[in-house]
Amino acid sequence: MLRWAASTRAAVLTVMLSMVLITSVTDAGEPAEKPPVNRRVVRSLSVLPTTIQLGGANRIQQLLVTARDPSGQAFDVTHRCDVTVANTDLALMRGATVVGLADGRTELIIRCDAATIRVPVIVEQYETFPPVHFANDVIPILSKLGCNSGGCHGKQGGKNGFHLSVFGFDPKSDYAALVKEGRGRRTFAADPDSSLLLLKGTGRRPHGGGRRLVADSTDYELLHNWMQQGMPWGQQNVPTLTAIRVDPTDRVMLPNAKQQILATAIYSDGSQRDVTHAAAYSSNATTVAEVDESGRVATGRLPGEAAITVNYMGQVAAALVLVPRPNAPNPYPNMPANNRIDTLVSAKLQKMGIVPSALTDDATFLRRIYLDTIGTLPTAKEVRKFLTDNNPEKRKRVVDQLLDRDEFADYWALRWADVLLVNRETLGERGALEFHRWLRKQMADDRPYDQWVRELVTASGSSGRYGPVNFYRALPKAEDAAKAVSQAFLGIRLDCAQCHHHPFDQWGQRDFYGMVGFFNGMQRKSLGKDRELVFHSGYRETKLPLSGEVVPTRPPQGEQPQNLNSGDPRVQLANWMTSRDNPWFARLAANRLWAHFLGRGLIDPVDDLRSTSPPTNEPLLAFLTQKVIATEYDLKQVMRLILNSRVYQLSSEPNATNFDDEQNYSHYTVKRLPAEVLLDAVCQVTDVPETYPGMPRGTRAIALWDNRLPSYFLDTFGRSERQSPCECGKSNEPTMAQALHLMNAPEIEAKIVNPRGRIAALIDSNMPRKQLIEALCLSALGRPPGEKERKIAARLFAGETSEQQAAEDFLWALLNSYDFLFIH
Amino acid sequence: MLPGSCDGVDRRNFLRVGSIAGLSLAEAMRFEHLCAAESKRNDINCIFLFVLGGMPQQDMWDLKPDAPAEIRGDFRPIDTAVPGIQVSDVLPKISRVTDKFSILRSMTHGDSDHGRGFHIMMTGRKAGAGDFNTGPKNNNQHPSVGSMVARLGETGALPPYISVPNYLNSGGPSFLGPSYGPFVIEADPAAPEFAVRDIALPVGVTGDRSQRRRAALREINRFERRVEEVSRQERAFDVFYKKAYNLMTSAAAKRAFDISRESDKVRDEYGMTSAGQCCLLARRLVEAGCRFVSIENGHWDTHRKNTYSLRELLCPSFDQAVPALLNDLEQRGLLEKTLVVVTTEFGRTPRINELKGRDHWPNAFSILMAGAGLKVGQTVGATDKQAGFVTDRPITPADMAATILRTLGIDHTKIMHTPLGRPVRLVDGGNPVTELFA
Repeated sequence: MLRWAASTRAAVLTVMLSMVLITSVTDAGEPAEKPPVNRRVVRSLSVLPTTIQLGGANRIQQLLVTARDPSGQAFDVTHRCDVTVANTDLALMRGATVVGLADGRTELIIRCDAATIRVPVIVEQYETFPPVHFANDVIPILSKLGCNSGGCHGKQGGKNGFHLSVFGFDPKSDYAALVKEGRGRRTFAADPDSSLLLLKGTGRRPHGGGRRLVADSTDYELLHNWMQQGMPWGQQNVPTLTAIRVDPTDRVMLPNAKQQILATAIYSDGSQRDVTHAAAYSSNATTVAEVDESGRVATGRLPGEAAITVNYMGQVAAALVLVPRPNAPNPYPNMPANNRIDTLVSAKLQKMGIVPSALTDDATFLRRIYLDTIGTLPTAKEVRKFLTDNNPEKRKRVVDQLLDRDEFADYWALRWADVLLVNRETLGERGALEFHRWLRKQMADDRPYDQWVRELVTASGSSGRYGPVNFYRALPKAEDAAKAVSQAFLGIRLDCAQCHHHPFDQWGQRDFYGMVGFFNGMQRKSLGKDRELVFHSGYRETKLPLSGEVVPTRPPQGEQPQNLNSGDPRVQLANWMTSRDNPWFARLAANRLWAHFLGRGLIDPVDDLRSTSPPTNEPLLAFLTQKVIATEYDLKQVMRLILNSRVYQLSSEPNATNFDDEQNYSHYTVKRLPAEVLLDAVCQVTDVPETYPGMPRGTRAIALWDNRLPSYFLDTFGRSERQSPCECGKSNEPTMAQALHLMNAPEIEAKIVNPRGRIAALIDSNMPRKQLIEALCLSALGRPPGEKERKIAARLFAGETSEQQAAEDFLWALLNSYDFLFIH
Repeated sequence: MLPGSCDGVDRRNFLRVGSIAGLSLAEAMRFEHLCAAESKRNDINCIFLFVLGGMPQQDMWDLKPDAPAEIRGDFRPIDTAVPGIQVSDVLPKISRVTDKFSILRSMTHGDSDHGRGFHIMMTGRKAGAGDFNTGPKNNNQHPSVGSMVARLGETGALPPYISVPNYLNSGGPSFLGPSYGPFVIEADPAAPEFAVRDIALPVGVTGDRSQRRRAALREINRFERRVEEVSRQERAFDVFYKKAYNLMTSAAAKRAFDISRESDKVRDEYGMTSAGQCCLLARRLVEAGCRFVSIENGHWDTHRKNTYSLRELLCPSFDQAVPALLNDLEQRGLLEKTLVVVTTEFGRTPRINELKGRDHWPNAFSILMAGAGLKVGQTVGATDKQAGFVTDRPITPADMAATILRTLGIDHTKIMHTPLGRPVRLVDGGNPVTELFA
């Protein structure tokens, strides 16, 4: 299977292979590992589950043995401790898994160092192999082995004639595919070992997907028994899976340590079953922690955090692993707190062994808060005033001033227009203009977030007169509206669930079509060119496309509302969305604000609040969410809190403990100026505005309603395409065209040398060279020149033929500098 | 868990493997690079000429002289350099170089809409339902083949993927990200004042002055911290500034864009037309190391006056440019290292409509492939009596994409991850056209 030609590569691989082999040997459950050099001392032991019940021949139970060291820190000894069964006729240990042998009661004796603990074991109905249920027992195996993944038989059209539904979302058709199709050779009750399922799965017959199944494994045994039982579909009314539980849910680990995960399925009748060996595992940060198919997590060398997603039959849960930086300073330096945000960030940083950067200086702070809050550079005058202000409360005062500026409404209307698809191409000029105007008014009036969203979601009327209905014109189908509303306001991504169960979340097709039901019946009537009447014609039933089955209209995880039939069903949805105990609405708003100012959401990506992407600081997100609700959805107040926090005002310069931290806000995250903000900044610094066709003179890019105005600059620097309701449409990715444009574009050069521009005015004023250099630095960088800028300027002024050309060269260098292009 | 070969491994897998084996991130990345260097060593570039609007198969490449008049149209088949292969009498110059390309007569897909047709022919993937956007750069669903090459191929001083003269519909990078989008020339090289945007210094800035400016900028942008302590964002931008510097300061790279350095004789050989000069510029760009040049050649949407449009407006420049390109590449020894693809979003209806035009027809149409050591001087596939449906060896857009990627040394089955984490194969369900590989 491996084709490694180069000898260097072969050598690397040998190392890797041998490492993998070592891992897999211990995975197979050898009694104990070689003790690590720094073996942690065990003070006490605890075990999960506290009683082991095995009901039936195929039931097994993974153990989770946790020790505490003398300092009280918990760590995993599942594969290190010594486990014996008191009565070896009744049960045996296979690695750290208990397997029954005969009915009866006994106990496990678990020893680790000097500590001992005993756990009762009950084996029942050992003689009977419980009837296999296709959907509950067989599908999970197919999922775990990857048979029904999108790249294999789950692919549309299947693979080599054998088609399964992707991730097993349609058990009925999978049953037919295995039992009825393929001329009955795929499964074979009389001789399961010669069925194609087992022959190909184990690689005994050539199989494009290779060897997936190990003969005589638990999975093999179950498939074998299922065939022996005559491939039953299973009993009716068996308990259905309702949730899975993961233990431990979070754990602080050392580098290069291991942790067993215990996955337990919970059924509708309250019964539980160990599914550790049947669940699928993945890590969202493989450099921090890896997880193998038996649920064993291994941390690497690097400190950080990883979420381990556990998936069993569409039910998902996550375990959080945290690896603190070793050798954290002791005592840990105390960060002063401006408000509760600082306390909560500090607590996390201390836990991680990371020291925050210092408070940033006044000039950097001012430039940062202007650009982040109103998308506008401070002028030289504003910078001078702030730097010479001696009021100790001056930062607080700037926060208040900026939140009241007109540009605030421009900038936040732009941000929302990107998410809410205010796109002239789909809405026409009138529609886009009205929609944008409405959004800007909501911002300018400080309308509470829940109120304007409610109005938007329930909007009906004429698109040429009433802005918010245009939202639905960009989303012509009920399915589009369901997806957009879920993602933009709830952070629920239902896209996957339209066709199959979401692979990393709890959502299935019923959740998707349940949501679609609120928009089913949305209609549009043409009122002439580019104008439409948008309205809801009343509730109607929604059916699953494949089976035609009627799905109840309900919000995700919610109940079907009572009054669907009276009036517009979107009102019921809006009631549910904006109710104070909605788990997503305020949380997404809080996460968005935090991500905007701090450069990364507490949950990332910012608009994907799935349970398997846990926040890096849950107490902080909970606090901010609570603030959104407590302020009656006045997002400005929450912004004020964030902007006044010390965390927002930290320097972007890292220290030795935090330079690689990107998750815990130990220093400010450097951001490139967004396209519109950058273009405005170039105009402001050169004092030459851009002219846009059809717009009044002096219109700024952040105030444009039309996202399709031809602008090479905005296209090149990644203005949002407004094609999808996520923040991913806008791009800050660098390209070569951006660098070339900034350096060579005639349009930018024309601004620098413009006879009515800043340079010309400064030269005309005959001010001393020193002042001229200072004025340019204050305008472009928001700070007086440092030694570096003075040296560079001196060289340029010495080399150039005229004062004017030297000043132009200096400004050119400033406009291309990272200090200008980035918010620090 | 372990990769089957370098080709099938993406960064995600490497990190996984790396941390299991106890390799550091840096080691894993070095290993990745090692792998990349080996599997991607391939100096074949691609010129991808897109005939915009729909190229009529039965009037150019797949004539049906025995069909009724309203189907066979006004063009007659003529003999060509390869005995047994005939093309239209509207392509006299091309008829003399049929030994340099293969005609794929059995291209087929089901999308008769321009926007969706662009998408499937630029990316190899059908535009899915739902959020497919019909905007101008509308491949929000899958990366264009050019972007795949930019992302996965080796690159030099020139941008790896250049579009001339315009941004082709569906020519974008989709989920690969803007860094892998095309560098768009946005000017017609046939125009007398042709210049490539932002490559040359602005008027008024002399070479000396530019050097002083750049020295100042280097100084101002010099990182004063250890590089790993510089923010990821600034480091990423720095990479592209360096690339831009390289382009501006590499005389050879900059020369590649300067079509005026070609003699009048050569320029006339290609024809002083958009098609001709775009082909010539494309040759200069691949010669200088660009991996993928896409050319837009419009506007072939002949719903009316099909015969007149082809004979008088569209075919003459095309018929001159394509043979000139093939001959020129061959004489310079570049044809072996250059894949030339002449493609379109779909063909045109067998029956001529009442406006004497032909409408959209995605069920059967022809494209050309040449160079790069492919087997040439042949036709692949066949259609029925009306050039309406494929009767032999259907070739899909995915097959075309797989053929291009394979020729450029890129594994077309490679899986990339979208920002949502969804694994997506570069080319799904397509196979290289074996008849082209000798």
